[in-house]
Amino acid sequence: MLSEGLALSARGVRMEYRDQSTHDRLVAIEKIDLDIAEGEFVSIVGPSGCGKSTFLKLVNGLLPATDGEIEVRPGAKGIPHATVFQDSSLFPWYTVIGNVSYGLVCQGVPRRDAYERAKPLIRLVGLDGFESKYPYQLSGGMQQRANLARALTVDPELLLMDEPFAALDAQTREIMQVELLRIWSKAQKTVLFITHQIDEAIFLSDRVVVMSARPGRILDDIRIDLPRPRALELKRTPEFTAYEEQVWKLIASQLGSIGVGEATEAATDAA
Amino acid sequence: MAAGSQPLARRVHPPAGEARTRVAINEPLVYGIIGFVVVLILWEAVVGLGFVRAALLSSPTRIAAAAVADFRTGAILPHIGTSFLEWGVGFAIAIVLSIPLGLALGAFRRIEYVVDPWLSALYATPTVALAPLIILLFGIGVESKFVIVFLEAFVVLTVNTVAGTHSADRRHLDTARSFGASRWLTFRSVIIPSSVPFVITGVRIAAGRAIVGVIVAEFIAANVGIGFYISVNGATLNASRVMLGVLIIGIFGVIVGQLIRRLERRFDKWRPAIH
Repeated sequence: MLSEGLALSARGVRMEYRDQSTHDRLVAIEKIDLDIAEGEFVSIVGPSGCGKSTFLKLVNGLLPATDGEIEVRPGAKGIPHATVFQDSSLFPWYTVIGNVSYGLVCQGVPRRDAYERAKPLIRLVGLDGFESKYPYQLSGGMQQRANLARALTVDPELLLMDEPFAALDAQTREIMQVELLRIWSKAQKTVLFITHQIDEAIFLSDRVVVMSARPGRILDDIRIDLPRPRALELKRTPEFTAYEEQVWKLIASQLGSIGVGEATEAATDAA
Repeated sequence: MAAGSQPLARRVHPPAGEARTRVAINEPLVYGIIGFVVVLILWEAVVGLGFVRAALLSSPTRIAAAAVADFRTGAILPHIGTSFLEWGVGFAIAIVLSIPLGLALGAFRRIEYVVDPWLSALYATPTVALAPLIILLFGIGVESKFVIVFLEAFVVLTVNTVAGTHSADRRHLDTARSFGASRWLTFRSVIIPSSVPFVITGVRIAAGRAIVGVIVAEFIAANVGIGFYISVNGATLNASRVMLGVLIIGIFGVIVGQLIRRLERRFDKWRPAIH
């Protein structure tokens, strides 16, 4: 059972997979123990290929863990989690409202009701007036707003975000970071956010979990004591840069151990 | 232009009028027409100057004369009408049967495993090779042509539809799964839409193969139709009418192909992105 006040609890999570070409057994995640309190915003950062996206897939059930236990509290509507994927996971054949209401349709909500329930979320993410546009008619930032609204519509306890802003240009990414904090404060969700951008993780989070190079394990779990609400100016304060230093040093130590730029890119997150 | 006397960023743009004429010229169209006209003139000249006998090669003016004659008397119209009917009916039946079949095969893997060897074999075989047998079975009327056209279109369309059901983007399937979509909803909301561009491409290829089916079947045994018209005029050394028949098929093929291609482009955005 989940302890009181926890949204997610992972115990001894381990993930092995068989390499498609060499048939060797590879360990993607060595051992992860992680608790996330209700309403908390937690980011996982780590060198590429460290298994952070794999861990997210274990949480949302797209991959089975080899060992260990992951518990997620079912939300008010009984939905434990919903995922905001990287880019282009919107269906190009549905309009914005069709996409945003998709999660509800999956739960058997009639389309008309699902559309009604999707509308407030579309407003919350700032896509008012774009309900009947198709994804290709939206900018990258707007597509990710729709993606976020789709996950929020099912009213999950835990929002899983898999590098959602990775494909955006630097300016749009910063705007979306501010937007995400605004939406998060209104929607009151627990968030598990995967990113490879250190400043993004610090800016958004209550805690930044730093993972090691593969096989992934947790190197450090850093509490970010920066006041909220946060604005972009925060990124230029000495407190913020001190956190950046701290996280960067941890990640750099990992890059050193495997040779920076070597072999890391090829070893992408399992599957 | 000396850098010292002029601002660095200064550019002299062509006057507005000149720019407009430059934009107005549709180069592919203009050069395409020029090439076409040149070929016609050369053809007419080669025959007119007696290098090749007109009875064998005909010429643009002779084909035009044949067209005027046969359309004025209406003699060619039953041939066009019959061939169009054979194409349309056979093709329509193929569409109605092969798209649902292709989707069903995509949904039920085990049935696909059973049917796939047959489909692959038929796909590799030119089904017109079966035409003599089909004519024996169904007679020399339109019925045998329906069957031949149907077979020509059916196989390629089914194969394309099945390929379409396997084309769904991993990310879209993950999305459906992570929201707990049922198998049937995943099929409806992800797999069918993903297959649409493939189905339309299949329709375009099938339309062309169906035309081949009509003509070959009529060559083998028929008493009306454009294929019959071509083969009869070929046997009587009437090159102009043979060319006219070929021209009509060509124009029809281009029109159908372009119409379907236009439809195809509308669904390009549904194709999975290439990574």
